[in-house]
Amino acid sequence: MARILELVLNGRRRVDAVPDNLLLLDYLREVVGLTGTKTGCDGGECGACTVLVDDQPRLSCLTLAASVNGQGVDTVESLAQDGRLSAVQRGFHEKLGSQCGYCTPGFIMASAGLLRRNPHPSDQDIRAALGSNICRCTGYVKIIEAVKYAAELHAGGVAP
Amino acid sequence: MDALPEFALVRATTLEEMIGVRARHPDSRLLGGGTDLVVNIRRGILAPPVLIDVNDVAELRAIRADARSLEIGAAVKLAEVAAHEEVMRHYPVVAQAAGFIAGPTHRNMGTVGGNLCLDTRCLFYNQSEWWRAANHHCLKTTGEVCHVAPKSRGVCFATFSGDLAPALLTLNAEVDLAGPAGKRTIALENLYIGYARQDRPITESDGDGKYYLSLRPGEFVTAVRAGNTAGLRSAYDKVRIRRSIEYPVTGVAVALRRQGDVLADLRVAFTGTNPRPVLLKGTAELCGGPLEGRVFDGLDALVRDQIMSMKTTFTPGHYRRRVAGVLARRLVARLFAG
Amino acid sequence: MSESAAAHTIGAYVPMVDGPDKVSGRAKYTADFLAPGLLAGRIFRSPYSHAEILEVDVSAALRLPGVKAIVTGADCDKTFGVLPIARSEHPLAREKVRYRGEPVAAVAAIDDATAKRALGLIQLKVRELPAYYSSKQAMAAGASAIHAHRANNIERDVLFELGSVEQGFREADLVREASYDCAEVCQNQMEMHAAVAEYDVLRERMTVYASTQVPYYVHLMLAQILDMDMSRIRVIKPHVGGGFGCRTEALNVELIAALLARKAGGSVRLMINREETFITHRGRPQTDIRLKLGMRKDGRITAVECECYQRGGAHSGYGIVTILYSGSMLYAIYDLHNVKYMGKRVLTNTPPCGAFRGHGTVDIRFAFESLLDEMASELKLDPLAVRRANYLTAPTFTDNDLMVNSYGLPQCVDWVEQASGWGARKGKLPKGKGLGFACSHYISGASKPVNWTGEPHATVKIKLDFDGSIVVLSGAADIGQGSSTILVQTVGEVLGLPLSRIRIVTGDSEVVPKDNGSYSSRVTFMVGNAAIDAAQNLKRVLVAAAARKLEANPEEIECLGELYRAGAQDKGLTFNEVVTEALKDSGTITVTGNYSTIPQSHGGKKYRGAAIGGTMGYSYSAQVVEVSVDEDTGVVNVDKVWVAHDCGKALNRLTVEGQVQGSVWMGMGQAMSEETAYHEGLLVTGNMLDYRVPTIEDSPPIEVGIIESNDPHGPFGAKEAGEGSLAAFLPALTNAIADAIGLRFNTLPVTPDRVFAALEKRRRAGNGSAGKANNADPR
Repeated sequence: MARILELVLNGRRRVDAVPDNLLLLDYLREVVGLTGTKTGCDGGECGACTVLVDDQPRLSCLTLAASVNGQGVDTVESLAQDGRLSAVQRGFHEKLGSQCGYCTPGFIMASAGLLRRNPHPSDQDIRAALGSNICRCTGYVKIIEAVKYAAELHAGGVAP
Repeated sequence: MDALPEFALVRATTLEEMIGVRARHPDSRLLGGGTDLVVNIRRGILAPPVLIDVNDVAELRAIRADARSLEIGAAVKLAEVAAHEEVMRHYPVVAQAAGFIAGPTHRNMGTVGGNLCLDTRCLFYNQSEWWRAANHHCLKTTGEVCHVAPKSRGVCFATFSGDLAPALLTLNAEVDLAGPAGKRTIALENLYIGYARQDRPITESDGDGKYYLSLRPGEFVTAVRAGNTAGLRSAYDKVRIRRSIEYPVTGVAVALRRQGDVLADLRVAFTGTNPRPVLLKGTAELCGGPLEGRVFDGLDALVRDQIMSMKTTFTPGHYRRRVAGVLARRLVARLFAG
Repeated sequence: MSESAAAHTIGAYVPMVDGPDKVSGRAKYTADFLAPGLLAGRIFRSPYSHAEILEVDVSAALRLPGVKAIVTGADCDKTFGVLPIARSEHPLAREKVRYRGEPVAAVAAIDDATAKRALGLIQLKVRELPAYYSSKQAMAAGASAIHAHRANNIERDVLFELGSVEQGFREADLVREASYDCAEVCQNQMEMHAAVAEYDVLRERMTVYASTQVPYYVHLMLAQILDMDMSRIRVIKPHVGGGFGCRTEALNVELIAALLARKAGGSVRLMINREETFITHRGRPQTDIRLKLGMRKDGRITAVECECYQRGGAHSGYGIVTILYSGSMLYAIYDLHNVKYMGKRVLTNTPPCGAFRGHGTVDIRFAFESLLDEMASELKLDPLAVRRANYLTAPTFTDNDLMVNSYGLPQCVDWVEQASGWGARKGKLPKGKGLGFACSHYISGASKPVNWTGEPHATVKIKLDFDGSIVVLSGAADIGQGSSTILVQTVGEVLGLPLSRIRIVTGDSEVVPKDNGSYSSRVTFMVGNAAIDAAQNLKRVLVAAAARKLEANPEEIECLGELYRAGAQDKGLTFNEVVTEALKDSGTITVTGNYSTIPQSHGGKKYRGAAIGGTMGYSYSAQVVEVSVDEDTGVVNVDKVWVAHDCGKALNRLTVEGQVQGSVWMGMGQAMSEETAYHEGLLVTGNMLDYRVPTIEDSPPIEVGIIESNDPHGPFGAKEAGEGSLAAFLPALTNAIADAIGLRFNTLPVTPDRVFAALEKRRRAGNGSAGKANNADPR
């Protein structure tokens, strides 16, 4: 079975015909070609595929594309504005919250979701918000620094 | 990535519509967050012909809590329960249990109904299609042997791992069910059937790790409800190897009342240990006196008798069972002390 | 014109040059290369542990519409393997399967669903053989051979004794012996294995996109497996989502993708899932160690006797090197003289092991530092004092001929002692809390590469053209460790130019010079030195041009990066003016820089394989770990880690800190929760729920002290920073637990059930107080 999927993807309205069994992750990567969102496990174990659905972090590997009909989906590609990195992206880049970069889009989206609802997170808030994401490179120390720095940038007016 | 097998998706908006689809497709599955169901579909464990997305069914999305009672719709997200101020205030055991589940993004997706009906788990079951075939499948799927207990004579020992169930069991919760045959309300405890002990089923049913829910064909949970008891203190605790993205090694919910120096009421429930969440039988006999060694010894004895952890996870059953008792003792002492 | 100054970044905090691509989602990894007409590949894997293949029937699968090609062992009789002396693996099994999950056939189809259906139609008929899942079983008398050419299933038997352990133990005041069992662990890098192979039928050329640490090895093995001339092969390494050693050899994934693409006459994308990535393995072997140490009352070590068994899995892989490292790297950290090592690498019917971060050194270091701690406690010595009693004095050669030129271990120990408040806090923490200490070390690249060709170890090219941009060409594989950033910094430093003027091209065999790859922490040291050489060669050309233009002698030219002048009063030339002048000679300028290790660093010949362990520079690490143990439940929490790492010179403090924190934390995973477990050879933990990589909520603050011993041969004095701090975490943790609860854990990982069982055993024995640490590892 297929159906019409109408959504706002990275701020732009978009309509596609999608099979019922298509995962949001595959829709983003293979249909739309937004390969920033990554596949890291066989389902729900790593968070690399995290995107925002109506500003809420969601695992796109366990979400059916058809089920986000009418909703807003933001991927890592949506964050930079006019070629400038967002606060979270700058945090991860400048504080080395990203090493190999593969988990990074998922961490960045979970962090962006956090800053959208809590612009001044404590260390503990950050740990609690990023608990569904696995990073194999950093040991998370610099990820926490990156998000704190992003919050400072955000407080200074940079979009999260 | 493994593409999902083909199925038809129904995005239901009303309870009646859901019941209709369930009547036509009793082998359909309800899709809430997908954090368990979609994983199992991806692994080829399940191949339902129809999925019913319940997230837009308003009747299942309500959460209401006050000092008198609690009612949570089956499609309410776990994160919402964990952060709900009235739930935290009056039913801390429920909020704590919800907040302990998996990780934050999982809790944004997962639902109360999904966690209450969470499929039982086993290291021989939660594996890929290739893996299970290489291991000749198991009782819970299409195989003939329970690899956990090859001499089990047809009994599956897969473990129940939902965190909300024990929390709600300590509150004497009830679940509202709906289905093609109508609506009914049963005690939450009666939702779960299955072996509590290897030698003696706890109910008259023949349930086990495979048949762990007493739902009738097409029937599903619509809400869970509980009343409050004045002076009830409750809490949830859990051992897990990691603090996130993890099912419980064992989870324990305790609710008790203290009158003066007397333990007036005690309810203790477990998850991660048996094929069903276990509300400990016999705790009433431990009440009526001060909290002393006798109570703890009695509690230990009940745990020894009713908690049966098999090698269904990578963490040894002996530990799960023993630490279940430890957590229970600790919670009882803490709550009693206030 | 204001006073110019050359740009400097060495020693600064420099974000990675490819960071913007990673944080914006633009960075392309192998699976991201989508193209119309790409076929989907899938692998049919053996469900058997050990069996003779009678028939692989693919006829029904071939008839499935949409299937474009199927390959089996019949399509390739060549073998591959990283060590020229141990190439025994077929990309698709022939004659025998040797582990559950070994590739037997592969399908290329128009889409993944078709490929998956086709797998279901493949029939494998076998005669099962006895299978062995432990070193002991595999070595038992009468066990059938997994590989015909390896008697008793022993891949390599290593034995050496340097000095006399008998004499050494006689000189000791205390002799202690203990056994250690370290579970097998897997890299589990975030990017699952993938390859895209494009076969150009008309030109008979093969292009493979591979997520590899060593494109060169992939190139070599593709040529061998495809039986194609190397000139017809091109290997592209896009962004790579981590490696940690599992991608330091060509994997069957790349080879199978290429076989499929050639047979299908097209392009194939082969993406394997997480379970298959686990099964492809190449992790750290399960290791049994028996260690005996002799110590004098002052802490001086008098003798070391070490027996080590590694369960290597079904193929050779790096096995011989791993078992040799475990012996040779007993040295070069402390001043040891009477050492006996007996190592056996064993073949078993489990997925093949490989080179995991800290290759060969980690489990041995765990045993060594644990026993040191135990003996220090028995002799009532401070664990730090025991290390101090055994320091090397650099420069020196060890008894097994390892060259140690710089040695910052004492400074590392001092740093963590201060930072952790060791003196004031050790032994004085509340009940259930403890501090543990340990040291470790690692090489900065193997001095003799696996494929010894006589070429320089590393070659870097720099191109400079009319646009004035510096283009660094290197085959070094950035897999997230930041090697490209280091090379850009290195070139910029020599030329005094800002990083904005420098670009780097890596990862395409069509363009970049060959490199031996990103393994054994060699890139900063070896490729960094080659980059310095290249930049100096370029600088000479530019200085000569500037001198010509300014009518001065080259020696008089002052290079300030963007400004070349002949003395401080000279207005000088801009960089672009110098480039214009320089191009007059030769047009586009290309320079080459090389680096070769010196023969003294190649290790010795005192025993067979003694070259393994030789390097130009050893890094050193010391760690203090603080834990809290919940004595009711056995749950251990790591509260804080202090780590000091001697990296010679931190070329980039940001990436050094990141590498050190990452290594410490990876050690924590191995120590506390990670384990690949099998049920009759079937991987039970082939997912990221059961293979428990620590989450952010489990992970402690890690404070890093950078120690700079300025290695005389290192680039700007640098040594490695990405591996040496891993090993010390493991013993520092168990030493901390011993401090906290008086129980010692010699079996890894130290999971709550093991701690609980040990506590329970002690309670039953009625010995509730934390006195002498008991050895107890029940499970």
